Amino acid sequence: MAGFILKRLVQSIFVMLAVAFLAFSLFRFVGDPISQMTGIETTAADQERLREELGLNDPFFKQFARFTGDILHGDFGYSFRTREPIGDMLLTRLPATLELGTVALLISLIVGIPAGIYTALNPRGVMSQSILIGTLIGVSIPTFVIGILLIFLFGVQLGWLPTYGRGGTVEIGWWRSSLFTIEGWRSLVLPALTLGLFQLTLTMRLVRAQMMEVMRTDHIRFAIARGVPWRSIRYRHALSNTMIPVITIIGLQFGGVIAFSIVTESVFQWPGMGLLFLESIRFVDIPVMSVYLVVIAFFFVLVNLLVDLLYFAIDPRLRVREST
Amino acid sequence: MFRTKLPTAALAVSATMLCALPAKAETFRWAGTTDPQTMDPHAVNATPELSFLNNVYEGLVRRGPDMGVQPSLATSWEALPDGAGWRFSLRENVTFHDGAAFNADDVVFSYERAISEPSDVKSWFANVAEVVKVDDNTVDFLTSAPDPLFPGSIANFMILDAEWAAANDAEVPARDAENHATRNTNGTGPFVLTSRDPGIRTDLSPNETWWDTAEHKLSEAIFTPIGNPATGLAALLSGEIDFISPIPLQDVEQVESREGFKVLTGLETRVIMLGFGHDHDVLRYSDETTDENPFLDVRVRQAVAQAIDVDTINRVIMRGAAEPASQLLPEGLSGFSDEHAMRPEFDPEAAQALLAEAGYPDGFSFGLMCPNDRYINDEAVCRAVASMLARIGVEANVNAMPVRGYWDELRADNFDMYLLGWSPGTFDAEHPIRFLTHTPTERLGTWNFGGYSSPRIDEMLAPIQQELDPEARQAMLEEVAGILQNDVAYVPLYTEPLIWAMQENIDVVQRPDNFFMLRWVDVN
Amino acid sequence: MLRRLVRSEGVWLFSRSPAAILAALVTVAIVAGALFAPWIAPTDPYDLSSFSLIDGLLPPIWEDGSDARFLLGTDDQGRDMLSSILYGARLSLGIAAIAMAVALVLGLGLGLAAGYFGGRLDAIVMRIADVQLALPAILTALLIDGISRGILPRELHDDLRLAVITLAIALSLWVNFARTARASVFVERNKDYVSAAIMMGQHPVRIMLRHILPNIVGPLLVIATVDLASAILLEATLSFLGVGLPADSPSLGTLIRIGMQYLLSGEWWILWIPTVFLVVLVVAINLLGDFLRDLFNPSLR
Repeated sequence: MAGFILKRLVQSIFVMLAVAFLAFSLFRFVGDPISQMTGIETTAADQERLREELGLNDPFFKQFARFTGDILHGDFGYSFRTREPIGDMLLTRLPATLELGTVALLISLIVGIPAGIYTALNPRGVMSQSILIGTLIGVSIPTFVIGILLIFLFGVQLGWLPTYGRGGTVEIGWWRSSLFTIEGWRSLVLPALTLGLFQLTLTMRLVRAQMMEVMRTDHIRFAIARGVPWRSIRYRHALSNTMIPVITIIGLQFGGVIAFSIVTESVFQWPGMGLLFLESIRFVDIPVMSVYLVVIAFFFVLVNLLVDLLYFAIDPRLRVREST
Repeated sequence: MFRTKLPTAALAVSATMLCALPAKAETFRWAGTTDPQTMDPHAVNATPELSFLNNVYEGLVRRGPDMGVQPSLATSWEALPDGAGWRFSLRENVTFHDGAAFNADDVVFSYERAISEPSDVKSWFANVAEVVKVDDNTVDFLTSAPDPLFPGSIANFMILDAEWAAANDAEVPARDAENHATRNTNGTGPFVLTSRDPGIRTDLSPNETWWDTAEHKLSEAIFTPIGNPATGLAALLSGEIDFISPIPLQDVEQVESREGFKVLTGLETRVIMLGFGHDHDVLRYSDETTDENPFLDVRVRQAVAQAIDVDTINRVIMRGAAEPASQLLPEGLSGFSDEHAMRPEFDPEAAQALLAEAGYPDGFSFGLMCPNDRYINDEAVCRAVASMLARIGVEANVNAMPVRGYWDELRADNFDMYLLGWSPGTFDAEHPIRFLTHTPTERLGTWNFGGYSSPRIDEMLAPIQQELDPEARQAMLEEVAGILQNDVAYVPLYTEPLIWAMQENIDVVQRPDNFFMLRWVDVN
Repeated sequence: MLRRLVRSEGVWLFSRSPAAILAALVTVAIVAGALFAPWIAPTDPYDLSSFSLIDGLLPPIWEDGSDARFLLGTDDQGRDMLSSILYGARLSLGIAAIAMAVALVLGLGLGLAAGYFGGRLDAIVMRIADVQLALPAILTALLIDGISRGILPRELHDDLRLAVITLAIALSLWVNFARTARASVFVERNKDYVSAAIMMGQHPVRIMLRHILPNIVGPLLVIATVDLASAILLEATLSFLGVGLPADSPSLGTLIRIGMQYLLSGEWWILWIPTVFLVVLVVAINLLGDFLRDLFNPSLR
């Protein structure tokens, strides 16, 4: 087991290196950072001097080696645009994205799982059909359209919720959280909903499909034949069998949440990693882009590792059941 | 139950004080699409930074609501004999936000800081040979050549406290890592920086010891960047912010029709124009014409100018908010040529005739470079231009791209025609001549991507810069404007509008340089 | 195989499900419209001389101030909305279909190989998948666009915008196929018929293609339809983020991005016509996907 983890960790480092390498080698094609850092009256000589100072004229491998060397020392470098230490920027932005992603995921679970169960158990009901169609329409609308619609409906027309930003934040050590103020929660609702909608639908449909499948297995049929109460069957047998693959899928979906959060953060001006990344592209802030990608790679690697461990733990049991 | 009896006198005093208290605290929340990258006034020579910092820092002179040059930290200035430079008399009894006194040492220090290597505002002092402290309240700026417009040209030169900078290791602007001046300020201006969260939020509060009288009634000002225009609009309409600039043109009508909001539409000093590849032998993006460059023929350029219906572009795309332009700078700015204030007339038939005369009766295709996120509706304008040119047989392949890569492409000559917007930093006609029409050299013509070259204009630039007699100067500028028009060096299209939206109870002053001065904000 | 399909329960089920029929009809209609757009659309919105700015911002036919030439109104450039969405659907579907096909082949190939051969190949493929997932689609699109801009001659670059977007979307989708294929291989590999084939000395590729592949067609088809919808939406999002297609040859996604500017301005049709069209298309595809999932899941019958 320990050997497995170790092997995976080593592979993970390679993954992060590969991501950094790919991204780094292509950064010079996303635009000119110098023109974003200076005004129109800056002479070509000054621009060239700046380019030289920032090491942009160095050969690719030298830049890449410097970057990886620095990261290994914990030095994430400085933003081209604001000259802030990128480590600090991460500490500020990461909690925002993590909180948003987690709440979105929770919404998708809290609403999605019961909805999935309900629609599985009442496949012909009107409620079920409308839930299915409704959510289907929901995920067919691009995320940014949903976001803006929600903003205008709940923020402008009804005036119930804030239209942008994170609301009141509280600092716990370095973690800047918006979960401890009412304003923070109010600001969280719409973005989390927008982000969670896709996950919600996915979870719901997964649970539904799994549950419907499980309901028809011999296992359940025998339980019915044995005279086990219907209710007991529903909630104990069917549900537990359903959750196993669903849990693993959810772990993978967390990655999707991070990816989709880019658009959501952009629409809601949510000061998280996604918005940071978008802005760094806009301003060709190469150090920030590099660090972002490495951090995201790290996250994916971590999540995948956890999911694989989970699977590893669950797998033997599944195999045993299958042979019965 | 014991109650402390307040002495009656104390009660009376507090009652009086209550009456004398100023009007209730006004927090002003405003937003824009771009957060200033730094709080260092010498680090970046661009509008988002200079506009914001003009609320915190001040210079020797400043510009008033009508762009007129006013005294600021200098009470008066006079030209030194023989065009040797300018002498500034400094204002007395001015303190920085930290209480330190303002004097000539701070001016000299700030000058040295502004011309240091990492500074981005060096170009303002290109003509300055030396700055001399005459006494504690007088400073001389000695110029290499006579510079009649010098005082106005340094309206954005901001002065820091020398001791503060030294004590905080901020003697030059930050290069790669931030220094104290990147997130902290110490100026003399009407507002003090109280908190700075880059990219998220910046807080200002009034400077109680400001030397001038505050016209605003603000107790606090909070700036947040909102990148998405729809989100920004929503924030304004929901009342979460009081002011936002800009809002998209197509939303102006909606906002104005709503109760409680208003839109201030004006003109910026930016002219949007089309440029040609004057030094390109061949077209680079043509589907069929690869062995010559039709745009080298002035008749073809003239045809382009006459094929574009700027009035319709203004009406449909700019919703009537723009103003057709005839020159490289907008009307009303110093040096504008009244003689040449007419655009070429929109006449597609004449354009087609010119094309035929030049030898292109069937037209040709070419590449039009365009940014898609820099100017208002820039891409839409390019497409409209392309559509109009298609009508006379000239097919444009529009390549619209984000501005972050745009200048590189232009510098690499990857265009046949391009869109450019120019705002003269000195609000004077010499500025675009220097940057856009002079033959490209190390220091001049640096934005003349097409390589337009007129020996006459080149030789007139220095005399224009040094001429002290306004009439003689204007005569030279008229001549230059004439040359540019006859040569169709550029095709000026229109002056870009400024669109500011706010709550109805807010009054602001809109300056054509798009600088937002908090000190003129009135909340009713 | 086709004969088997036609006579199968599937078709019978299909004819019994009104939702599926409707979805299929809508999809066919839209796909046909998109395919035959050059013939049935009133104008060619990609031809710069076919529209005029003066016709800009006209509302659809049922509103005041409309023009009979433009049934669904015009956009800010004077382009006919109806033609735009037909051509736009053409582009969107084309991109999505090709992207998905590329993703399918790539993912299938890598997934099958990884699952079958296991060991180091498996580890490498899965780590590449991790790298792929770590690069958000937007960045992939941006970077491929950047490379093409930097490496290829300028003229080609514009033509390749389409290829760039397609490749970027394909790269973000292949992992799903790979994972599914790999997982299915794990399941099937242990079965008797595969062991038999191995013992008989059949070539691994033959085994994969002939024996394993047919058994995973079902799940793959389901993913394919979901991914088709995802691809269309992803393209819209990429356009929103600024790395999509240029506005003179817009896909549905680009039309929506342009339309977003008109959300509040009163010219609602520029946003809502393409959006509704897109939603209808994606819903139809998703419903079809649902139907296929139920079809290929024997335990649900």
